[in-house]
Amino acid sequence: MIHMDEEWITSVGIDLGTSTTKCIVSRLRLARKSGAFALPRFEIAERLLTYESAVFSTPLLNRNEIDVARVMQWLEQEYVKAGIRFTDIKSGAVIITGETANKHNAKQLVHYLADRAGDFVVATAGADLESLLSGKGSGAERRSEQSREVICNVDIGGGTANASFFRKGRMIETVTLHVGGRLIQLSPEGQIVYVSEAIRPWLREKGFHLMEGESAAYDYIRLIARQMSRTLLDFLQGLSMQGKLLAVGRVPEAMPPISEMMISGGIGGMLGSEPPQDMKEIAVYGDFGPLLAAALAEECARSSFRLVRSEHAVHATVIGAGMQSTEISGSTLHLTPGMLPMKNIPVVKLEDGDAEAAIRLGLQIYDPVNCPPFALFIPAMKPVRYDMIRRLSESIVQGYRRLVPGCDKLIVVCENDMAKALGQSLMLRSAGELHIVCIDQVKVDHGDYLDLGEPIRGTMIPVIVKTLVFSGS
Amino acid sequence: MMKQPIDLQELTDRIMKELQERLPQRESVRQESPHSRESAVPAEAPFLEEAPSPMVPKPQSPEQLEEWCASTPARIGVWRAGTRPLTRAMLKFRCDHAAAVDSVYGEVKRETLEHFGLFSVDTQYGNIENYLKRPDMGRVLTDQGTEKLLAECRRNPQVQIVVSDGLSANAIERNLPDVYPALLDSLQANGLNSGTPFFVKGGRVAVMDHIGELLQPEVLVLLIGERPGLVSSASMSAYMCYRPRKGMMESNRTVLSNIHQGGTPPVEAGAHIGTLLRNMLEQQTSGVKLVI
Repeated sequence: MIHMDEEWITSVGIDLGTSTTKCIVSRLRLARKSGAFALPRFEIAERLLTYESAVFSTPLLNRNEIDVARVMQWLEQEYVKAGIRFTDIKSGAVIITGETANKHNAKQLVHYLADRAGDFVVATAGADLESLLSGKGSGAERRSEQSREVICNVDIGGGTANASFFRKGRMIETVTLHVGGRLIQLSPEGQIVYVSEAIRPWLREKGFHLMEGESAAYDYIRLIARQMSRTLLDFLQGLSMQGKLLAVGRVPEAMPPISEMMISGGIGGMLGSEPPQDMKEIAVYGDFGPLLAAALAEECARSSFRLVRSEHAVHATVIGAGMQSTEISGSTLHLTPGMLPMKNIPVVKLEDGDAEAAIRLGLQIYDPVNCPPFALFIPAMKPVRYDMIRRLSESIVQGYRRLVPGCDKLIVVCENDMAKALGQSLMLRSAGELHIVCIDQVKVDHGDYLDLGEPIRGTMIPVIVKTLVFSGS
Repeated sequence: MMKQPIDLQELTDRIMKELQERLPQRESVRQESPHSRESAVPAEAPFLEEAPSPMVPKPQSPEQLEEWCASTPARIGVWRAGTRPLTRAMLKFRCDHAAAVDSVYGEVKRETLEHFGLFSVDTQYGNIENYLKRPDMGRVLTDQGTEKLLAECRRNPQVQIVVSDGLSANAIERNLPDVYPALLDSLQANGLNSGTPFFVKGGRVAVMDHIGELLQPEVLVLLIGERPGLVSSASMSAYMCYRPRKGMMESNRTVLSNIHQGGTPPVEAGAHIGTLLRNMLEQQTSGVKLVI
């Protein structure tokens, strides 16, 4: 057999952070991973970083609004520099991170950008996803595959520190704190320009007094930076709960014991630098970031874990978004042509083979006006028997037609390698009336959101899973 | 005093009983699941395709060992007695070997063939010993079989489905209930129609050529039991060919192999055959020249 074995696609990542914005361009190689006598199975075999933008200050119209026009202009220039056109781009993600996510127009902006950045570039946001992507981009995820132990990546930028804990290639926990370089802004003369509201409770608890407009001494700021580093590290190691005062969203009940730590983000990038000697050196970027980096390095040296270098410190999140967000459902699958791409489809898990219960649950949680309102996820069953496929397809078709009568589009994701069998069975049982996408080889769970790209050669579908597993509370 | 010699069967039964007790009780769990009770598959032979649990007494990392053992059906983590295998590991090996031999000597049940509406014809294999020694005789149908095909089968079908025991009757018993209906679905989904299906007893892969001459199908798919091994005695292949005829080169056949619950998933294999056949019809070729 002659196999059409390879295909390259271009993917971008765009990260709009608290203080900086950056983008990367990468090339993903899709290749057949199975033998000639086995079922075809395609995977992303290689991810090449082809372009890294310079770091650009996130343009703001005012304290609460991002300047969309300037971001767009910058992006167009970057694409020219990278030598790519919008039409070349087949996948990727725009992520909005740190404090930028709280700006008034953040949500619209990220969708606006995603729609204009190329085909199937998706909009993502949320501290958990940011943590996951930075952990992937920094190399912590990959490193954890080869290790028995827990590796924690902390991505520290201007506004937040996103910690992700990995074990054996999987994120097992995540937490985000208000720890970042731009939370305290200074003039070279030592005047306090800005103190973020988010850290005031912690400052009060620690007995620090910082007033905007007043001056602060080098030693005082240094003490704050050290205390902040200590609070962060103690919190991640489960030694002290003081970090709760800085937490963004959910706080895990217990932290997995860390054996290795990686620090990425803008602060991570400054870790090896000489500590700033005076106020002028501290305030090169107009904030206490350099001092925070120096303090963190000192505190890490006193901790029980090993500090390892991350591969792409400053660009970890944007690299994660551009290179690691896309997966391929490239096994045997079933697809009614013309249905894709589709974005933001919530996932509902079908449990104990009860299709009706899953559909009812899905309609309760998600907007039934959308078509499809959700994707059904069928967890692993062993062994897979044709009888089960038949029963399952009958009950899904029946339930879907009765409970979602206005919608003729059905999306099913299987954990087992059975998407083609189930898809064909669904199509036949619905007498061809349902338009079906049935895929497998993608890990999803209840509460995830799926983006499905345009099929490549009719047999591979780029998939972005927006996991929100840890945002249960 | 010399003990009474005991019956070989009785000895085997006792060993098996002992083994059943010592091996993890997963087999019983599986039989309780509602699906296996309803399926047409006969109760699965014990010990086969079970992920072996590690026997190493004090592993440094039990978790790692479990992971390795779960990752392969090979006999790892079986421990030892001095330089030799444990009785349990030895018996398991002998048992798997016996299952492989049984598969070759086994027969596909009449009920199975009836269930799928397959009539049976013989090749010139004669008997199993001869079948093993003379592969050429497994490639040609008997005169009686030829007549039967010509009498019962629709000529020039778009797709001809043939099932054969080959070297493992067990493979057919175990996989046909999953592969066959999925294959029929995939033909329907791809808008293909098929002729009169049948079963060939004592078949070799190249029996496709003889059948091709007789029925002149556009494409033929042969579901045939593979040579059994120590990992699985129930592995099946699907050989596919565009316009099979005498003198066909092996390189003109397309194959999907290793179909069993621990290998290529049977339902998905069945579902994919339709796509492959459609490709063959569109490109009017099969084997190494087929672009997929």
